[in-house]
Amino acid sequence: MRLEILLTAGFFLIGTCLTGYALCRVLRLKHEGILFSVVSGAMFWWALMELILVPMTLNLKSFHDFTVLYNILIGICCLAGVFCWKELLEDVREVLKTSGRYLTPGHLAAFGLICFQLYFIHHHMYLEWDDTYYVNLANEAVFSDKIYWVYPETGSFADFDKRYVLSLWPIFYAWLSRLTGVIPTIMAHTILPWIMIPMAYGVYELIGRRIFAEDRELQGMFLALAVLLHLFMSGTHTSGLTFLSITPWVGKGVLAAVLFPMLFYLVLRTAGQEKTGDWILLGVTCMGGCLLSSMGIMLSPLFVGVAVLLTAVYKRKFRYLCCGLGACLPCIVLGIYYIYLKH
Amino acid sequence: MHGFFEIARTDFAATFGGAWIFPILAASMVWILKAEQNKTLKLLFGLLPLAILGLYWCPLSGLVFMKLLGENVYWRVLWLVLPAVTIPYAGCLVLKRLEGLRRYGAFLVMLAVIALGGQKVLSAEWFEASVNVYKVPQYVVSVCDLLPGRVHVLASNRLTPYLRLYDPTITLEYARNAMGYNEDSEGPVAELYNAVQEPEIDIDVVGPLARQQACTFLIFSISRTYVGDWADYGYRKYADTDEFVIFVDENYKEGEDARKWED
Repeated sequence: MRLEILLTAGFFLIGTCLTGYALCRVLRLKHEGILFSVVSGAMFWWALMELILVPMTLNLKSFHDFTVLYNILIGICCLAGVFCWKELLEDVREVLKTSGRYLTPGHLAAFGLICFQLYFIHHHMYLEWDDTYYVNLANEAVFSDKIYWVYPETGSFADFDKRYVLSLWPIFYAWLSRLTGVIPTIMAHTILPWIMIPMAYGVYELIGRRIFAEDRELQGMFLALAVLLHLFMSGTHTSGLTFLSITPWVGKGVLAAVLFPMLFYLVLRTAGQEKTGDWILLGVTCMGGCLLSSMGIMLSPLFVGVAVLLTAVYKRKFRYLCCGLGACLPCIVLGIYYIYLKH
Repeated sequence: MHGFFEIARTDFAATFGGAWIFPILAASMVWILKAEQNKTLKLLFGLLPLAILGLYWCPLSGLVFMKLLGENVYWRVLWLVLPAVTIPYAGCLVLKRLEGLRRYGAFLVMLAVIALGGQKVLSAEWFEASVNVYKVPQYVVSVCDLLPGRVHVLASNRLTPYLRLYDPTITLEYARNAMGYNEDSEGPVAELYNAVQEPEIDIDVVGPLARQQACTFLIFSISRTYVGDWADYGYRKYADTDEFVIFVDENYKEGEDARKWED
């Protein structure tokens, strides 16, 4: 299983990194670094999947057709990233040169806590009642080649459950399963945590770098405190932070643990400097959130809307508000369609 | 209105109860609003979570969200408050003012406050030791390893959520929540489900229904008791595990695709 984990994580890391570099070049976002490219590349992958998966699902296309098309598009994105090899090489050199600066007490504490979390989760299981629906949705895609036309819990043919037709996140790990030859159940329960947990903390590292750009030590302490909060939370409900430990493969969990912090990070960027590229990336991330969960369709624009409204009022800039609303447009369109489907 | 506040209060308590995370979050917001000089950062780290909490408790916006999201998942609005952003930032605002050993000491104190103030997530309350890479209970693996695959199964409630996670080629007569929102509450499936929930299984009721519904394999907990004889309805014992006993349709031929809903 170690080999499968390494292969999947390696593919995800390299693929999203290359896509991120291509995306940054198109959006004219320069010198953002490897971590930013990986995270923004992942957001782009999810948004792209949402863009092609919804029409393909509604048109009853097979999972095979979907994987062929998505493979081609992801291949093009990665190839485009290869053409950014100069920037990539420059960033790799920079990382190697400055890697010693990451040996701060905070970073070391965070690294230790993340390793413990990964080790614990790898050797334990959380029995998620809803897996019988979501994970089997991915299993059905791989085994029956049908996207969402089989009721995942029993294997019978079924009409669309309109609650989830716009947010088929399990198809993402079904796709990874198809590429690696691992059954989606193992992909979700055993492999995905190794991708999602580091990615979630990668977003917090980006936030830390943004707010404490000059103080590496504080960046590490910010990250360590953030990691620890994921390990010690409150409540009987699965709050956003606990999701990352108990069900990092569930779309709602990724939404709460990765996407909302990412939206916050991007709002933080737009509040500091209003680059068109940042607004587009915010829109791409909102679109990616729609893939994760129907909650993403509703909650992403709510979060971005409130944050942008507050900032626009403070800045007294109507244009800022308009750009924010523009970034929410994918969610608004899908939200209207969701309401139409449900009624 | 009373109903709204009842739901909001219950959900809030269920999300933040049992630990000191919310008081720490509230203190963090206050500290950020007081100590942060940069207005944009003050706005996003201090005011934004406050505004979201305001929207959560405001009946006007709350009722709209409840309508859009559903009353039973209203608590998910609280996901938009990001404690892992606000609390560490407030902590770092304190640490920023300190240097050297005092900074490290304060950092350790903050780690301790979070660890002592929160509930441990990686605990036996949520997790159990994993015994297979599928991360499903071992009794599921034991049963599935005996089943031939591509068959139609009526299974014990303990097995239904997990059987298809291990072997997706199996089809099930009914799923979890069989009589809930996922399935019909009338008809032969419902009758069959209700019949096998009885303390003692009446084979004269279950047998014909199972045959009518083309169930190739029937799996029950080993502790179940029966009235009647399975052979009268064409079923025989196929195998058993420590916890379950498996019956098979006598007409089933090994390797046959007996799924009820074929591709």
